This record gives sequence, structure tokens and C-alpha cells, in this order.
Amino acid sequence: MALPRWFPIARNEAYALLTAKGPWLLALLLVGWAYRPEYLAWDELGRNMTVAFVQSAGSVLLPLGVLLLSYRSIVEERDSGSLKFLLGLPVTRTDILVGKVLGRSAGLAVPFTVAAVVLGLLGAVRFGLFSPLLFLGVTLVTLLYVLTLVSVATAVSAVTTSTVRATALVFGGFYLLLTVFWQTIASGPVYGALTGSAADPYAAPADGLLFVLLRLTPERAYGVVTNWLLGVGNSGAGYSVVLTKLQPESNVNAFVVDAAFGQTTAPASLHEALGLVVLVAWCVVPLALARYRFERGDLA
Amino acid sequence: MTPPAIETDGLTKQYGDSTALSELDLTVERGEVYGFLGPNGAGKSTTINLLLNYIKPTAGTARVLGHDPWNDVVACHQRVGICPDRFDTYDDLSARRHLELVIDTKRADDTPRSLLERVGLVDAIDKPAGEFSQGMEQRLALAMSLVGDPDLLVLDEPFTGLDPHGASLVRAVVDAESERGATVFFSSHVLGQVELVCDRVGILHRGRLVAEGSLAELRDRCGLSADATIEAVFMELTGDSVRMGEVSE
Repeated sequence: MALPRWFPIARNEAYALLTAKGPWLLALLLVGWAYRPEYLAWDELGRNMTVAFVQSAGSVLLPLGVLLLSYRSIVEERDSGSLKFLLGLPVTRTDILVGKVLGRSAGLAVPFTVAAVVLGLLGAVRFGLFSPLLFLGVTLVTLLYVLTLVSVATAVSAVTTSTVRATALVFGGFYLLLTVFWQTIASGPVYGALTGSAADPYAAPADGLLFVLLRLTPERAYGVVTNWLLGVGNSGAGYSVVLTKLQPESNVNAFVVDAAFGQTTAPASLHEALGLVVLVAWCVVPLALARYRFERGDLA
Repeated sequence: MTPPAIETDGLTKQYGDSTALSELDLTVERGEVYGFLGPNGAGKSTTINLLLNYIKPTAGTARVLGHDPWNDVVACHQRVGICPDRFDTYDDLSARRHLELVIDTKRADDTPRSLLERVGLVDAIDKPAGEFSQGMEQRLALAMSLVGDPDLLVLDEPFTGLDPHGASLVRAVVDAESERGATVFFSSHVLGQVELVCDRVGILHRGRLVAEGSLAELRDRCGLSADATIEAVFMELTGDSVRMGEVSE
């Protein structure tokens, strides 16, 4: 059976990333960034603290790196004219998008997996063997997050006509608003506009709407799913913050379902598995919208 | 019956209020070497961009090797070789990888080496294209267009950036492809080269086709002597004293 038409495009994308310095530098930074043993995590998670490192590696720095290495993928080729070669191949424009997303994701998944394995080895040597299944689970969810980020960045790259605009949308919009400051934005202005008063992160109301809003972004959904696997609590925040919040008498500005709802049962809409749905939706919807425009537009 | 290599009917492209191409009716028969000429901004690139699905038409229809170029792009490009204008190569990828991309997507059985031999670039097979001169990039693009023995070669300004050796190489490739039975459609403003390779030329001016035919026919139509150069014909047809096209409006 013949390989799909997009395969050679994906292969070149992956090759270009794997032979570049950027992704490997990112992997190195991720190891240094994520390796943070601490007493509380050790008390709560034991040897599986090492697996929690993988979640740290997947948050904040990884999205920044993945977006940086993906957002120019199409707009730059459009500017330079190399896109003419891809458009001249016997492929549909959708094939080009698919090849770009899958190839870039593969080219970033390999360095990330290496970083995760190094973290695992460091942790295993220092703290003892963790659950390999849990490690695999968290790593796979992180790879889904990488795919989602590449997909979003490629979608923006496909529908913008200048690198400057792509930069503004990806970093000003997606990274700052939806990744770094989403907790503040969702609980403050957004929740405030919907209910009349902003939510206090030190004493969050037991309101399903607030928590649903908080976990609608890829970063928070990723946090929810990985915290669920790690068993630290139902929240989109980092595992360390969640563990601290759930200590008696703690005073932390974080939104954790278990802390807000106490003994009462949280609504089903806050089930952690729905985080996977959010991730998949972010992976598919922006790209589908971008595809609609990319298929119809003028590209030269 | 085999459909023409290229057939357009009322093909029009507008950008807002400005018309880049106006109701082009063009037929390029199989096996022809057709030169598409015109001053800068005449609509040559617009036509080629439309035929290659780089851009979408405002009105009109087109067939490339019998296929709809916008909705049947895979079948169409499978049999077309493309050497674009104002392109850029991938700086980090070698010449070999550029060709493998095309070979594998077209599911062809050429080898990068044999293709590069045809354009005199085999010494640079493993060099990253970022180190290429403009002429080398042009040769690489030409090699990429030859993958899979296409039925139609579309060469957009293939003489750009080439020294006389390069230009004569392009002519040799065009002759060889034509000999093989391929149709060659190319745009150019390097008129001396066009004269040497074309069976038939079409002259585009301000978004309209103002003349079409063999060079001898065009000389006659312009009332020029038999030794008039194509440049004289071109100037006659696209200068201020245009006799066809615009006058008939």
C-alpha cells in the first residue's frame, strides 16, 4: 500500500526539527526546569514524585517552546515562496496542513520523550522506581498536549498573512491570555461578567461554572488530566500547588475542586476525563477552521 | 480524444477593483512548446498561479490535462512538473532531500542523482540549499519539475538568474522534454531565449491576451519584416501603438 500523500511532507518537517538545535535545547531546558524534588510531593506521592516531574516539564516552558518552534511553519513559507513547492505537489492543501502538524509533532515528540526519560532515570536513581504505567500515561497525555499546541500554532500560521500577525496571535493571544494568565482571566473578568462578581482564589465558591471555565484551555485541561492520573486532586493547576492547597489550614491562591466543594459532590461536568475532550477539541477545531480558509484562499 | 494540455475559458482574476487577468481564453495543445510573454504586471504570473492552484479564480473555468486545477489538484499535479517563480528553497535541506520530497509525493521512481545530472548540479547533491547561488537554486527547481516524466511542464520565468550556460541548459531540457512528448508552457520576459525554444507564443498585455501564434505569424500581423526580432514584435504589440486587443475594445 502506498504511503499517504502527506507523508513525505511530514517526514521533511520532522527531519528539519530533529536536525536543528532548537528542539534539543528545549529538551535540555525542560529537564533542568522540571526536576524539583520537594518534601510535600515526596510525602504525598512517594516514588511517583518522579512522574510528577513530567507534568512540570509539560507546563509553561513546553508550550512556549512548542509554539515558538511551530508558529511560523506555514506563514514563513508563504512569505519566502517555498510554499510554492508544496502547493505544486500532487497533494491537497489539507494534506499540507496534516503533514505539517504530524511532522512537527513527531519532530518535537522525540526530544520531549528523551527529556521525560532522562527525568525518569534521574528520579529512579535518586528516589527509587516509580510506577512505569503512570509514567507512560503522563508522558502520553503530554504528547497529546504537544500535538494540540502544534495544531493550534499551525492553524494560526495557515490563516495569517504575516509573521508579525502570527506572532501576535500565538503569543499575545494564545500563550499569554489562554496559557499563562488564564486562571486570573477566567476567575476574574470572565467569571465576573457571567455572575456579577469575580471569584476569590483563596476562597473559591463551589460553583461548577467557575471550574468549567478554568479548564477550557489546553494548558489547564492538561493539568486536570495529569493531576487525575497522579491522584493529587481535581484541578488544572500544577501538582505542587494543588498538593499545597489541599493541606489543612493552607492559604494558597489556587482553584482546586476538592477544596472548594469540600464534602459535597462536585458536578459531573468537572470529571477529570473531560480534560481529554478539551485537549482533543483544541487539537481539531482550530485546525478545521483554518483548513476551511486555507483550502479556499489565495496563497501566492 | 486527448484533451488539450491547458484550456481556459473566460479566466478572470480580480483583486478588489483591479483586474489582474481578464477573460483569458487560452488553449495549449499537447506537445507544444508555448511561450507566454508580456511585460511585468501583464498577468503572466496570475495565469500560472491560477493554473497551479496557488490562487483561485474570480470567474471562468480552466482545464489542465483535462482536470479541474482547483478541485482535482492531486490528479492534476501528478502529471504536471512545476518550476515556480519567486520561490525559495529550504535552507537546511540538501538538494537530495528536496528531490526526494517530490519523488515520494509523486510516487515516481526517479533518483535524485539522475535528475541532478540533467541540470548539472550533481556535485551539490548533499549540500544544503541554503548555500546555493540563485542559479543553483533555479537548477534545483528545474530538476524538481522533471520528476516523474510529467505530461506538462510549467516553467515560470525559468531563465531568471541564469548565466548563458544556465540558459542554454534550460533550453536543452525543454528540447529534451518536448522530444519525449511533454507539453511545455513557460512564461518569460527574456525574449531572446523564447525565440530559440518556442513553437508558439501568446502575448499578454494589461491582463488580456493581445496576440497569439508562431513568431512568423505575429511578424505578419504586425506588418514587420521576416527578420524582425521577437523583441520588435513584442514592442509593437505591447507598446503605446498597440494594434490588437485594446483597439478592438
